[in-house]
Amino acid sequence: MVTRYFLVLILALLVMMLSILSLSLVQTDELQTIKTQEGKKLIISEKILDLNGNEIPLQSLTEGKVLLNVWASWCITCLVEHPFLKSITESKDVKLIGINYKDQNLNALKYLDRNGDPYEFSIFDLSGDISLKLGVTGAPETFLVVDGEIVSHRIGEVNLKVWNEKFAPYF
Amino acid sequence: MKNLLHIFKILIIFALPIAAENLYQNLNSDQLKRLDYLSENIRCPKCSYGNINSSNAPIAKDLKQEIANLIEEGYTDDEIFNLMEERYGNYVILKTNITENKTLFLIPLMVFLISILLVTTYTIKRSK
Repeated sequence: MVTRYFLVLILALLVMMLSILSLSLVQTDELQTIKTQEGKKLIISEKILDLNGNEIPLQSLTEGKVLLNVWASWCITCLVEHPFLKSITESKDVKLIGINYKDQNLNALKYLDRNGDPYEFSIFDLSGDISLKLGVTGAPETFLVVDGEIVSHRIGEVNLKVWNEKFAPYF
Repeated sequence: MKNLLHIFKILIIFALPIAAENLYQNLNSDQLKRLDYLSENIRCPKCSYGNINSSNAPIAKDLKQEIANLIEEGYTDDEIFNLMEERYGNYVILKTNITENKTLFLIPLMVFLISILLVTTYTIKRSK
């Protein structure tokens, strides 16, 4: 009698496990990954300088629509997305501002010399402190900031597909 | 002269580990233990296979330094976990919160208790 109970219980457990497994296979929502910074305010408390050492007023980042792109001369994916960023600034009315992430000043200027400069200016962030507070995990990353609020955030390369998905609706 | 230069280079190499030990010199040994515990339990946002202690990514080093600063400023462990969760999402917290995942911990316990119950009743019935 008890053995039968036992068998039924094992069977029930097996069915339960299988159903949970199949449910988890069906529900293929997006995998949980690093949270983007969308919906947060753009907070920069440090003094910001551009690549030439000029101080930049914070208002230039918090007024209107600003596309913030984190880049570095050592970053290969940045080089890959560079032509696309250039084509975007040429074809659309986009205010593109760079954040030069953990990079040497001279290397950064050389990089812009060689590959063209689509940025209005680039913020010099040698220590990575400004980026860290922004929630940047590495280069490249792109933020769309509208009136001081981050409305769209891409971790990784921006190409036409990503642009159409995440940024095009705002332009 | 050349030999002297070589000796000097070797001395510099030996000095490197000494410099490395003083990375978080503002923290006492208790705070260092907390730093270790926190960085063992926070995932590196860039390279999600490991925690920030095991990762060599620039962001992991920055985060560890930031956590060290926060500890120095007097933040508690929970406050630091919350801060990290707020910035990067629940995904970066490797420590499992038991109160939020009660079923996860209760199901194995229940299975264990039921199986004990069944086995004992079975063996008692058989021995009769």
